[in-house]
Amino acid sequence: MASVTDFLRRVIREPLAHFLAIGLVLFLANALINGDDAGPASETIAISEGRVNQIAESFLLLSGRLPTREELSSLVDDFVSEEVGYREAVAMGLDADDTIVRRRMRQKLEFLIEDDAAAQTPTDADLQAWLDAHPDDYRLPERRALRQVLASTDKRGAAASADAQAWLAKLATGADPSSLGDGSMLPAALPLTTQEGVASLFGADFAAAAFTHAGEGWFGPVASPFGQHLIRVIDSEPGRAVLLAEIRDSVHADWTEHRRNIARDEFHARMRQRYNIRIDWPAPWQDLSTTPDPNPKTRPVPEVGE
Amino acid sequence: MVRLAFSVCAVALLSACGAPQQAGAPEQPPVAGDRPAPNPLNNAYFGDLHLHTRNSFDAYIFNVRASPDEAYAYAKGGTIKHATGLDMKMKSGALDFLAITDHAEYLGVLPAIDTPGDPYASVPYAKDLFSTDPVQVNTAFRRFGDALRTGKRMEEYADLRTVKSAWRDIIESARKNYEPGKFTTLIGYEFTSAPEGRNLHRNVIFAGDTAPELPFTALESQNPEELWKWMDQQRAAGVEALSITHNANGSNGTMYERTKWDGSPVDRAWSELRARNEPLAEITQVKGTSETHPLLSPNDEFAGFEIMEWYIGSSTPVTKFDGGYVRKALKDGLELEKQSGANPYKFGLVGASDTHNAAGSYEEDSYLSKVGIQDATPQRRGSAPPDGKTWDNYKPADNTLRFSTWGASGLTGVWAKENTREEIYGALKRKETFATSGPRIRVRFFAGYGIGASPLTSDAGVKNAYDRGVPMGGDLVGQATGKPDFLVMAMRDAQSAPLQRVQIVKGWLDASGKAQEKVFDVGCSDGGAINPATHRCADNGATVDVKSCAWSEDKGDAEISAAWSDPEFDPKLNAFYYVRVLENPTCRWSTWDANRLGIEPNPALPKTIQERAYTSPIWFVPTKS
Repeated sequence: MASVTDFLRRVIREPLAHFLAIGLVLFLANALINGDDAGPASETIAISEGRVNQIAESFLLLSGRLPTREELSSLVDDFVSEEVGYREAVAMGLDADDTIVRRRMRQKLEFLIEDDAAAQTPTDADLQAWLDAHPDDYRLPERRALRQVLASTDKRGAAASADAQAWLAKLATGADPSSLGDGSMLPAALPLTTQEGVASLFGADFAAAAFTHAGEGWFGPVASPFGQHLIRVIDSEPGRAVLLAEIRDSVHADWTEHRRNIARDEFHARMRQRYNIRIDWPAPWQDLSTTPDPNPKTRPVPEVGE
Repeated sequence: MVRLAFSVCAVALLSACGAPQQAGAPEQPPVAGDRPAPNPLNNAYFGDLHLHTRNSFDAYIFNVRASPDEAYAYAKGGTIKHATGLDMKMKSGALDFLAITDHAEYLGVLPAIDTPGDPYASVPYAKDLFSTDPVQVNTAFRRFGDALRTGKRMEEYADLRTVKSAWRDIIESARKNYEPGKFTTLIGYEFTSAPEGRNLHRNVIFAGDTAPELPFTALESQNPEELWKWMDQQRAAGVEALSITHNANGSNGTMYERTKWDGSPVDRAWSELRARNEPLAEITQVKGTSETHPLLSPNDEFAGFEIMEWYIGSSTPVTKFDGGYVRKALKDGLELEKQSGANPYKFGLVGASDTHNAAGSYEEDSYLSKVGIQDATPQRRGSAPPDGKTWDNYKPADNTLRFSTWGASGLTGVWAKENTREEIYGALKRKETFATSGPRIRVRFFAGYGIGASPLTSDAGVKNAYDRGVPMGGDLVGQATGKPDFLVMAMRDAQSAPLQRVQIVKGWLDASGKAQEKVFDVGCSDGGAINPATHRCADNGATVDVKSCAWSEDKGDAEISAAWSDPEFDPKLNAFYYVRVLENPTCRWSTWDANRLGIEPNPALPKTIQERAYTSPIWFVPTKS
C-alpha cells in the first residue's frame, strides 16, 4: 500500500506528469470556454462565441473599455486573417526554417516545464532538506572582534618589527594598548567581523593570522601592507549553520531555481530518447562525438551582435 | 485544437498557472545579528550609485539577464552570471551599499517584448530585436536609441503597465535586500535625457523605502529643470530624493552650462532649484573621468586620466569640453554665484560603475567592462587584436575603439555613523562623500581655524576637526583674522597599490571676478619634500613592471597625513578646495588583459595608470566686511 502511495506521490511530483496534466486541463478548458474552434487540419474556420468574447476581453484589458461594434468586427476580422495566415504558413512549412519561430516554440515549451516546477510550493521539510544538503552555501561565517596596535612601516621602515616586539613585551606586563602604536586611519578596535571583512581593511595575511590564532592575550607581530601589528582577539562568535526561519526566502528561491533546472534538464533528456540523433561533424571536428549528450545540462547563450 | 490549447496556456501561465509564490511567503526578518554601535566620528562606507540590470532596455539587448535581486547578491559579495555565462565575484569583498538605477525610459519593456504571450511581444520588430543577425538587431534596437534622442515616447509603449510593474519590483527588491547595519539598498533610477545625443543623464536616488508610482523620465521632458521641479513637488509631498549628474564628459559641454534650458542667463531661482536637487556629481565611472580635461587644466599634469571623448553610445566625437567637466563647473559656480546670488554648481563628488552587467567591474586585473556581450572579450574591448597576435595595421571597429578608452571604475565613499539608509543618504545629502577610480582608498578632509596642530591620525584629532572645523562637502565661513588649516588623511586599499601623493585642488574667484585653479601637493610619500616653487612632491621613483604588472611595494606610503595652509590664501576671495589622492602607478586593465594572453599591450593605450580618489570640496565663504 505504502509503495503505491509512494509511486503516486512520485508521479504527482514528476514534471512531465504536471506538464501533461496542465496541457489536458487547458485543452479541456479551452474547449469549454472557447467552444470547439475547428482545428488547423480542417478547412473550416469557425469563430466560436467564446473566442469572440475572449477577443473583446483582450480589448477591454488593454484599453479599459469594451470595443464598439465596428471595432469588434474589425478585431474578429483580423483574427480570421491571423488564423488563415497561420494555417497557410504552417502548410507551407514556413515555421520549420524560421529560427525565431523555432526559438519561440522551444522557449514556450521550456517556460511551461520550468514554471510548472517553480509553481510548486515547498513544504518546510523540503526546504529543511535542501538546507541540510547544502550547509556550506548558507553557513554564517565565524566572526571575531579584535584590538590591534600598529608599528607603521611608513614611519619606522625596517625597525617596525623590532619596535612591535618591544611593545609586545610591554603589553604582556599590562601596558595600556592605547598608549602604544602609531596613529592611523585603521581602527584600534574592530567589532565582530568576518574574516573577509577584516581582509578588506587589513589585507588577507593579517586576516588569516587573526582568524587562525588560538588563545588569549596579545600576539604578533603580524605583517600587513600598513606595517607590523600586535593583535588581540577580544571576542569571537563561531560560524554556525543558519536556521531555516532566518533565511527562508533565500532557500526558497534557490530550491525553486534548482527545481526549474532539474525539470528542464530532465525534460530534454527524456525527449532526446525519443529521437535518433546523429551529428555529422565537418573536417576539423570529426573527433567530436556523433551523438549529443543524453543529459543536457546547459542552456546555450545566444549571441547578439554589436 | 492542440495549438489553441497551447496559446491559451502561454497566456494563462503569465497570470494564473505560473503565479509567483512570493505573495504567500511570510515576511522574513533579516538574519538577526548584533549591530555595531554607531561611530560618532563616522566610518567610511563604499558603494555603487549607478548600476543597470535586465530591466534597462539596453542591458537586455546586451544579453544581460541578471535581476535586481542578483545585483544585490553580487554587491553583498556573492557570485552571479555575466551575460556570457561566466561567473562574476568581487575579489575586494562586499560593498556596503548599492543603488540600482535602471533606465526609467522603457523600464522592463525589452524583457516583456521577449516574453511569449506578453502584448508587447507582438510589436512588428520583436523578432528582429532578438534575431541572431546582428544587423537586424541593430536596426530594430536603434528605434529605442533614436526615440530617446528625440524624447518622444514610442506609442506602442504608451500604456505604462510594464514600467509600473518593473518599478514596483525594483522597490520591492530594495526592501527585501536591505540589512540595516550591514548593507544599505537605495531606490533609484536613471533619467536618460540625451537631446540630439548630448548626454544629460542623471541618477535619481530616493531617501526612503518608498517612491512615487512612476519615475519622472526623459519621455516626460528632456529638460532637467522639469525633473528638479518634479523633485520639489515630491519633496513637498514627503518624498525626498536627490539627483546626480553623470558622464558630463559625453555632454559636449551641455551638462554644466551658464544658461538655462531656454538659453536665458542663469538666475538665482534657477541656481537654487538646481543646487537644492542636484547636490552631487559623478566624477568617475567606466565611461571615463569627468574631473577635468587636459585642455581645460593645462597646468595639471595628472589631468589626462581615463579621458573619454565621445557622445554616449555613439562614435560622434565631443568637440566642446567646457561645460562637460566638474572642476570647471565648480569654478563657473563661483562666478555664477557672484553674478546671480546663488551657486548652481555647489556639488559634492561621487564615483560609480554605470555597469550594465548588474555587477560593477572595479578591479583592473579582472576587468569585464560594462555592456554585456558587447565588450566581453579582450578583442571586443580593444585590449587584443582580432587575430590575437599582432597590432600591425590594427583598425578597430568604432565601438571597440570607444570601449578601449573606458576604465575599471568607480566607487563612492561616504562618511556615516552607521550603515543604514538614513545615515548613508544623510551623508550623500550633506556631500560628506568621496569618489575613487575603483580601489577602496579612504580619505578624510577638514578645514577650520586653529585645527592644524591636531592631525587626523588619532580619534582625538578627528573629533577636534569635527568640533572646530568642517568636513568635505561643507562651507568654511571666514574669520576676521588668521588663515584656515586644512587637514587631510588618506589610507591605501590593502589590496591595491601604496599611495604616492595627496593634493589639494583649489579654485577661486580672483579680484576681477574670474575663476582660477591651481593644484597643490600637500602630502608626499617616502618622506619626500614639496618644492615650494612648483608645489610638487619629489618623484618617489615608484615603477611597475608591465610584463608582470608587479609594482614596487617599497615605494609609496600606506597612509599619508597632512596639515596644510594655503600659501596664496586671500580672506576676501571665494574659493573651493578638494582633495585628490594618487596611488603609485599600476597596470591598466588593458595591460592585464594582454599579459594574460601573452601578447603586447595595445600600443595606442596607456600601459599604466595612477588610480585615485577625490573628495567633495569645502567652500571658503569670506565674511562680509
